[in-house]
Order: sequence, then structure tokens, then C-alpha cells
Amino acid sequence: MTRLERAERPRGLRQRDEERRDQGQPAAKPRDEGRREKGRTAPASGGDSLLRGTVRHTWFIAAVLGFCSTAAAGCALAVPAVIGHALDLMLDRRPGAGPWLALSAVLLAGEVILEAARVLLSQLANARATAWVRIRALTGLLGGPLERAASYSPGDVAARLCVNAADSGAAPAALATIVSSLLAPVGALVALALIDPWTAAVFLAGVPLLLLLLRAFARHSSDSVGRYQRVQADIAARLAEALEGARTVAAAGTVGREARRVLAPLDELALHGRRMWTVHGRAVAHSGVLLPLLVTAVLAVGGVRVSQGALSVGELLAASRYAALAAGVGGVASPLGALVRARSAARRTAELADLEPMPHGREVLPADGTGALELRGVGVVRGGVPVLTDVTLEVPGGATAAVVGRSGSGKSSLAAVAGRLEDPDVGQVLLDGIPLPHVVRSDLRACVAYAFARPEFPGGTVAEAVAAGAVPTSGEQVRHAAALAHADGFVRLLPQGYGTPLDQVPLSGGERQRLGLARAFVRRGRLTVLDDATSSLDTATERQVELALSRSSFSGTRLVVAHRVSTAARADLVIWLEAGRVRRVAPHGELWRDPDYRAVFAPEPGPQKPAGPYPAHPARTAPDAPDRVPAPDPSRSTGAAPPSRTGWSPAALAERRGRGTGR
Amino acid sequence: MSRTAARPGHGHAVTDRVAARRLAAPARRFLLGRKRTLLGLAALSAAESVQTFLGGYGVARALDDGFLRADTATGLLWLALAVGVILLGAPVTRGVFALLADLTEPLRDALVRRAVMNALRKATAPGGSVDGTAVSRLTSQTEIARDSFAGLVLTARSFLFVATGAAVGLLSLAPQFLLIVLPPLLLGVTLFAMSLLPMARAQHRYLDADEVIARHAQGVRTALRDIIACGTQDAAAAQGRLDVGEAAAAARSMARWAAVRTLAVAVAGQLPVLLLLVCTPWLLRQGVSAGALAGALTYLLQALLPALHSLMTVLGAAGARLLVVLGRLTEPYPDTAVAPPAGSGPGPRTGRAAVELRGVRVSFGSRARPVLDGLDLSVAEGEHLAVVGPSGIGKSTLLQVVAGTLAPSEGAVRLAGHPLVPAPPTDLTGLRTLLPQDAYVFTGTLRDNLRYLSPQAPRAAVEETVRALELEPLVARVGGLDATLTPRTLSQGERQLIALGRAHLSPAPVLLLDEATSHLDPSAEAVAERALAARPGTLVVVAHRLSSALRAHRVLALDGTHARSGTHEELLARSALYRDLVGHWHGTGR
Repeated sequence: MTRLERAERPRGLRQRDEERRDQGQPAAKPRDEGRREKGRTAPASGGDSLLRGTVRHTWFIAAVLGFCSTAAAGCALAVPAVIGHALDLMLDRRPGAGPWLALSAVLLAGEVILEAARVLLSQLANARATAWVRIRALTGLLGGPLERAASYSPGDVAARLCVNAADSGAAPAALATIVSSLLAPVGALVALALIDPWTAAVFLAGVPLLLLLLRAFARHSSDSVGRYQRVQADIAARLAEALEGARTVAAAGTVGREARRVLAPLDELALHGRRMWTVHGRAVAHSGVLLPLLVTAVLAVGGVRVSQGALSVGELLAASRYAALAAGVGGVASPLGALVRARSAARRTAELADLEPMPHGREVLPADGTGALELRGVGVVRGGVPVLTDVTLEVPGGATAAVVGRSGSGKSSLAAVAGRLEDPDVGQVLLDGIPLPHVVRSDLRACVAYAFARPEFPGGTVAEAVAAGAVPTSGEQVRHAAALAHADGFVRLLPQGYGTPLDQVPLSGGERQRLGLARAFVRRGRLTVLDDATSSLDTATERQVELALSRSSFSGTRLVVAHRVSTAARADLVIWLEAGRVRRVAPHGELWRDPDYRAVFAPEPGPQKPAGPYPAHPARTAPDAPDRVPAPDPSRSTGAAPPSRTGWSPAALAERRGRGTGR
Repeated sequence: MSRTAARPGHGHAVTDRVAARRLAAPARRFLLGRKRTLLGLAALSAAESVQTFLGGYGVARALDDGFLRADTATGLLWLALAVGVILLGAPVTRGVFALLADLTEPLRDALVRRAVMNALRKATAPGGSVDGTAVSRLTSQTEIARDSFAGLVLTARSFLFVATGAAVGLLSLAPQFLLIVLPPLLLGVTLFAMSLLPMARAQHRYLDADEVIARHAQGVRTALRDIIACGTQDAAAAQGRLDVGEAAAAARSMARWAAVRTLAVAVAGQLPVLLLLVCTPWLLRQGVSAGALAGALTYLLQALLPALHSLMTVLGAAGARLLVVLGRLTEPYPDTAVAPPAGSGPGPRTGRAAVELRGVRVSFGSRARPVLDGLDLSVAEGEHLAVVGPSGIGKSTLLQVVAGTLAPSEGAVRLAGHPLVPAPPTDLTGLRTLLPQDAYVFTGTLRDNLRYLSPQAPRAAVEETVRALELEPLVARVGGLDATLTPRTLSQGERQLIALGRAHLSPAPVLLLDEATSHLDPSAEAVAERALAARPGTLVVVAHRLSSALRAHRVLALDGTHARSGTHEELLARSALYRDLVGHWHGTGR
């Protein structure tokens, strides 16, 4: 198995690592360039510096380890000669064997204890170095700017923190033992030559064969391994596909059929699997023959020398033991391989560890601020493509601003820089007159709340997910925020209500959105950014949520990325983006006269016309009246002539009109 | 996500023991079913015993009968014999690996099959969830099991036959050797055996900690934007530090046990060498020859010590890993996933309604507020019903109850006259077709995808469906009905069209669409719904747009736990909720 592991599995892993690295590298380059462009000091980066860090962090263990392993190798080298001599003395019935016996006992005990210490210390060093690397990588990821972390997928991050970090952490122990792992075979060869030069000569003649065979193996195996992994990936992909359609499969009762479809390539997998074993068996057979042959050859030559009287029995035994030790020269491959793996793994882990932390200042937002948001010449470039260009605008404190534009016009980027999820490449974002980078992190996050289209919750219970980061939050506040977000209803339906762990309940997209909204509401920030945060809610619920937000004691500014015309209509002003630039900032009523603006809301597929009920009430969306979003008024939504193809009856319309604003 | 960082090691011992007990029977069955392979392995391994035997015996004879008597030829002859056996070892090793494949490949097949079935059943169970680790279990964990198992078989077999060869050799050189060698060997093996369980526990703890870190890392990256937005980096980092600390502690405990293992190997392997040396004068007095002593030392140092070393290493590491992974892979099937045992075919139908609900109540958990409560509903055969209501009000739940994929906590449900409570008939597919919002398309031909619910549908029927649903542009785009689809390259709308085509082809008398047209534009939705309504049978649609509700004969408005039904006009007059919904649908052009 040790051989198996060394030869087969790590190759597969390494291959995967390389693939990952290949995918990672193109993304890494622009990042480095970006760093240089900004003219900030690049941190001492790269895998090698991370490895140097691991060595610095474990130097004491590593030093003791180096000493123990060298001493163990020394004992192992001395043992055959001492035992051989003691044996000779006893065989010849000469006196004085006692001290030699005692010496062999001491050496054997020493070898055993030092070897145990080597095993213990190298694993302790690994554990310590790995933990250090992992914490550095995690801290780097958490402190780094979002846009830099974006190129690493979750699975990739997990691999960098688990496999790669463990591989990197093996560096100090490998470095400390590499000398001793060479010392044993080289010393054994020297000892062999000292005992009898002929035995050493025979041994050296056989070594090239050993190397040739090992190379032949490396060539054959990767081929079958690659094919095996491809079939395996195929089965995994089929399973993932079927799992995605689980609801359909469940309803259709086709579990058996799906299982057959997923497992169809299993025979092929077994075929390649057998081929892998065959190739592997051939390699093991070769090396399994070569080592005993070398030792026997040394014995034969030694035996001839014994019969010539040039060698004693004890020396012959020592020679055969030294031959076996010298054949262990392959053992150096293990720390060497670990070092090579550590270097490539450290490069990958260092990418996370070296993510440049997002700097925060020490200022605090003015206590009497109302949340006035200002963008000055903001530009954002992602992957070489300008996403936002020269955006300059002001949102008065307490106002609601809708951000509209076709997809790809930069709405989400604007939302991200407005509350400093990301920093713009040029320009400034100010909240209540203070540039966001000057604000101390805790204050910034306490004052700015975000809700997203697809919120993520890093674990815990429902209540913890809603309260996240907002200090201090009582259960009452959580429930209140959830009620505002229309989440209270479904949370109460969960098995343990607010105490339900999130990973135990499958939540729909709409339910997640409402929890995300509750999380934003609980903060009562002076700036609340809703980035398409109500897209999975039906319009009635969305409306109620917006009303709750505007009615309750929220005094802050709201920036709402919106796709629905009703949301834009209810906002105090609309930021209309087009291809990353601000086309206009004005109330919806004003903009509505522009056919280009109306076209933004046209459903891209399908013949339906945009229903635009609001131009009739421009006064209601005046920017200087932040708190006057009207009471629920269903008639507003049907104010314009409805599309006739839906069969809307005039009678019903009249009935609805007659209902007025009552609700 | 990673709340269970510090779990007591005690739990692992219990779970390991439980897993071992659970695995014992299937493991015995697995091995007994492969007697022939095992016998073949034993036969080949016997050759290894011979090689070991000659390794020491040849040295002894070569010295005693040859080199020490200055008879070089005899000495070399004995060594040549040993070389011959060594050379024979190559084909033997190849044979061993060929037989090994007969053990590992079936094991892997069985594990993969089980992992797939388990994942599918868990995902399709009522209220089941897709297991995020299913795919990793399928690939990495089955591979760990396969490699560990192979390693165990190889080293255990090797140790057994090497030890036998050495024992026979020692016995034939001088029986006294066994007296000296066996006690420390047994002592070392006992010491090792005693350390196995705590070692497995440490391994288990380490593997768990590693998984926790992976999950945390994945979770942090997934939620990074939200973590930054909430300013909870410090909490996430603190949790990560705890997880990493636990992994380091587990690694340290593994290191200690690895050191114990090394000592055990030394007691079993090195102590006999020392004892042999100390006893040499006594042995010589007993008439043991120099060659025999050399042979015995050869057995100890060149055969027994390496075999012991690899066995203990593999048992300590791979053995524990195999136990953990097998335990996970063979966790019992979730009970709820198994089809109801009623075994009743569709019984005689009673009643005329296509769908009939009486006093239906659904709640998830005893403390939870019910989603549906006291719901009565009757849908006549051939009727077209639209279900409307705000997000999360229980529309999907209602459809699942009707479809028989979710058992209500209380109440009676009949589908096409067949009672679904207490247990639905085994063949539900013949009674109804349920289309969820997320349409399932698999890698296969478009034709097979369309015939998913009626695999025997004739060509003409498929073509009729293509015409009725106006699928021609889609057929053309993917390259014909018999072109293989790549689901990733299809838009959500195209996926839904394929699922709707499936429903159109299905022979079931009741069609249930759960927002199955949400990604279609209104005109495509109208075409699809009209085509499905034109089919003989009943249609129940969770409406996504007003137009969809208007096409129905009747509308059911769900509001909290109560419901109202009627025509569009009736509901406009009676239901404030419906008026509100209609108003918003209108206002936003949806």
C-alpha cells in the first residue's frame, strides 16, 4: 500500500492539482498586474516565501527532528558492523564479546527510540506547519477584497485549504529529514566498500537497472489512471445531473431507471481499473525482483571472499544488510517528492494567503448623518473590461434611489462599490461626506446593510443568520426584522422555528431572499443596499416589504437595484445606467417620457408591452419628499389601460377603481 | 456549518465499533462469494513463502556446506537456487495483482452502486434533500476504500506468507530459534493490536476535522460577499481557527499513536535480533552452526522486519481509513425513501372527481404551524384549475399532496378516484404527471427526453407533441429529435419546454404543473397551456401570471391556511387577496 499510495494516488492528485493550477493561473496574472498598477507595495508573495514561513514557524521541532533522524541513521549504520563483529567474536569463541553485545543493545535501542521520535516529531511539525498555513490562507481570504477572491470557486478554496495546505505543511519535516534519508544509503555504500570493495562494485553495477525499471513504470501508469479518472468523472456528472432533477425523478417514480443510466459506464470503469492493476503489478514485480537479486549478488561475491578467507561470517552478514540499506536510496524520493509537492501546493495556498487585505481607516461616521451617498468619478474595471465609467452622483440622505438599466449595465457593481463590498479602481465613494476607505470597519458594517438576490448564510440557526454581525441583537429584534421581510410566517413553520439550523431545511429562493432582507433590516443602517433582493418574491409581497421598509423607523438611505417598473416608480429618484455610465438621474415620472427609458423595462422575450402606469402621477415621485411613498394603493398598479389580450373585463376594472385606496 | 469542531474521541470508538459490526456480515458475504479468488491468492502467495524460506535457508547452507568449507561451487549453487526462486517471483506478483483486481473492482462497483442509489433515494424521498457530498462520496471516498482495501489485502497476505516461510525456515535450521524469536514477536504484535482501536479513533477524528475544514472553507468562499457585507470576518476566522486547531490536535494525537506503532514494530522486529545475539553462545553450545545463525538473522532482518513494518503501517493508516469510509458509504438507506409497502395496485376507483381533498392538513414538525389546514378541494374530470397565492403560501405543497409525493398529516386525498392516504398505490405515474419548476433534462436524445414518462410512445405521437407545443425551433436548434442534448447548453426556458412536451406525451389523466412555465415568455406559455388543456384529462396549474389564471375554468386562491375558489370574476368580487394579486400582476406587466 505504501508503494501503491506513492505511485498511483498521488499522481492522480497531482494531476488534478496541475489542472486546477492551470485554471487558476490566467486569473492570477491580471490580479498581479492590478496590484502593480495600483502602485501598492506587493507583499512578499509566492509559495516559497510561504514555505520559508512554515520553516520559521516550526524551526525548533524541525531542528530536533533533523538531529533525531540523523542520529537514527547513524545508529542504523553502526548496527550491522557492531553485530557482525560481536557475532564473529562469539563464533570464534574469542573473549570480549560482552562489550560489543552491550554496544549493539545500546545502538538498537537508540535506533528504535530515535526512529519513534522521528515519526512523532515529523508529524508534529506537519501538524503545526499545516495549521499555520491554513490560518494564513483563511485570514487572507477573509481579509482580501471581494473581487480578488471571486476567481476562486468554493471547491477550489476547500482544496487549497485542505489538500494543498497539508502538502505545504509537510515542507519543514521533509527538509529536516532529507539529509538523513541520504545519509543511510550513502553511508551503507561506504560501509560496503570498507568491508569489501568487490561487494560495493557488484552493488553499483546493479543500480542503473533499478532506475531504468522505475522510469518505465512512470510512463505506463499515468495513461490508464487518466482514462480511469475520466470515466469516473462521467459517472459523477451523470449523478449530479440526476440529483438536479430529483423532484422530477421523484414524481415520475424513475429512480431505478436513473440509477441504471448513471451506472451505465461502470463496466468501462472496471475495465480501466483492471488495466491499472496490471500495470501496477508489472512495476511491483520488477522492483520486487531487483532488490533481492542485488542483495543475493552481494552475498554471492561476499561468499566467495569468505571461502578465500578474506571475509568473516559476521562481515558477510553486515555486507548483506548494508546492501539492503543502500538499496533504500529510493527512500530519498519520499522527502524529495514531499518537497516538490509542497512547493507547488504552497504556490496555490499562497495565492489565498497573499490576498492583499482591504485597508480600513480609523474614522467614524458623523453621529448626526442621514446617510447621504456621493460617488465622484467612480470607475470599475473587471478582467480588463470597464464595468463602471466616470460615475458621479449624489443620493440625499433618507432618499430611496432605484438603480435601473439593462443587464450588464453595471447595476450590481454600483451596488457593490456604494457600500464598499468592493473598491472602485478610480474615484471615490463618500457616505455622509467621509470617503468609505477612511471609515473603521466595524462602523462601516454597522451603518451599511446589504441584501442580495441570492443571499448566502454561513451556517448557524435562522436567528443567527438574521442577526449576523449586528451587535447586539435580541430575539425580539430578529423576529421584528423577519416580520418586516415577510419571513416570520415561514420561519414559524420550520420544525424549530428561529432555532432551526439552516443546513437542515431546504429553503426556496424566495425564502432565502426574505431571510436576506431580514438580515439587512435588523441592522437599521444609514445606507441599505438592495441588490435585486426581491426578485423571487411575488409582486404583492415585494410591495409589502418595500412599504414596511419605508414606513418603519428606518431613516436611512436606500439604494435599490430594480428590474420592475413599480419599484422604480416608487423611488424618489432613479439612477439610469447604460453600459457602465450614468445616462440620467431623475425621478421616474420624468424619465418615463423617454422611450429609451421605457425600453429598459420591456420584457426581452415575448410580445407583451411594458405597462407603465406611473407617468400619470409624477408628483408622487418627487425627489424632495423622501418619506412620502404612498400607502398601499392597488389602483395605482392598474391605472393604465391593461393589455387587452388578457381578457381583463371593464366591469372588473370599474370595480377595482371603485375600491379606491382602501385595503 | 462547523459547529461540531470539538467532538469527544469516545464517540468515534462507538461509531467505529457500530460500523465494524454493521460491516461484518456484508464483508463475510463479499469474501465468501470470492472463495476461488482467495484460494488463488493463497496459492500464489505460497510461492512467496518458498522465496522467503530459501532466502534464509540458502544463506545458511551456502555458508555451512560451501563458503565456510572453501567449497565455493556448492555455496554459489545454493545462492543460485535462491535467485531462481526470486526470478519466479515476478510472474507470481503479476498474478497476485490480477487476482487483486477481482477483489477491488467488485468492491468498488458495489460501493459506487450503493452511493448512487443512496443519493438518488435520499434526493427523491418525500421532504428529502440533495446530499451535497454525494458526488464526493462517489469519487474520492470510493477510491479511498478501493486503495485502502487493496493495500490491506496485499500487506496482510504478504505478512502472513512471509512469516510462515520464515517460521518454517527457522524451525528447519534449528528449533531453538523459534523459542527466542516468537515471544518478542508476539509481544510486539499484541502491543500493536492494542493500539489499533485508539489509532482508528485518532484517524477518524482527523478525517472528520479535515472535512469540517473543507466545509468551512467552502462555506466561507460561498458566503464571502455576505460575510464582508455583514462584517462577520472575525467570527468566520475565529470559527476557522477552532476547526484548524481541532485538526492539528487530531494530527498530534495521530502522531503519538504513530510513535507507539513504531515502538511496537521495534519490539516485534528488532528485539528478536538482540535476543538472538545474546543467546548466541548458548546456541553455539547446542550445536547450532554459524551458517544457521546467519540464516536466522537474514530471516529477521531481510524478511520479517520489512513485512512487519509495512503491515503495521498499512493497518494503522489504511485500515482505519477503510473502516471510516466504508462505514460512511454503507450507511443504511433512509427509511422514508423506500416506496410504501402497501403494494396495492390502483384499486377500484370510487367517486367521480379527478382530484378530491377532504380536511387536508400539512405541517412540517409537530411544533410548526401548518402550511395547509382543513383544506377541501374537488377538481372535476376534464377541468382546468389554476392555483394562485403569494410566495411561500403552500402552492407547491398542495400539488405534492395531490401528486402523492407528500403525505398529509391529516385528511383524505383521492386522485382519479384512488385513495392516496394512508399509502398511495405503487404506480402513481399512470395516474398523474407532476412537473416541478426546475425542469429536468438529462444527457440523452431529445426523443428519449420527451418520452421520459411514456418510454413506448410511437414516433407519430412524439411528432404530434412537437407540433402541438411548437417545439420545431428547439428541435432544429439542437440538431433533430435524435441529437444528444447537453443540458448545460439549454436555457431554462428550453428545459421547461422539453418537460412540458414530456407531460403532453404522458398518458396520465391528471397533469399538475408547478410553475412549470415560469421561464417561458407569455406567448409560449399560452401555446403550451392550451396544448395541455386540449389533451383529454384534468389540468392543475400553479399560475405564475394573470394570463395563466385567466385561461383556467376555475381559480383557487390560497391565503395562509384557507382557500377560496371560483371563476376569475367570482374571485375578483370575493377575494381581496386575489384582487391584490391581479392588480400587481397587471401593474408590472408580468
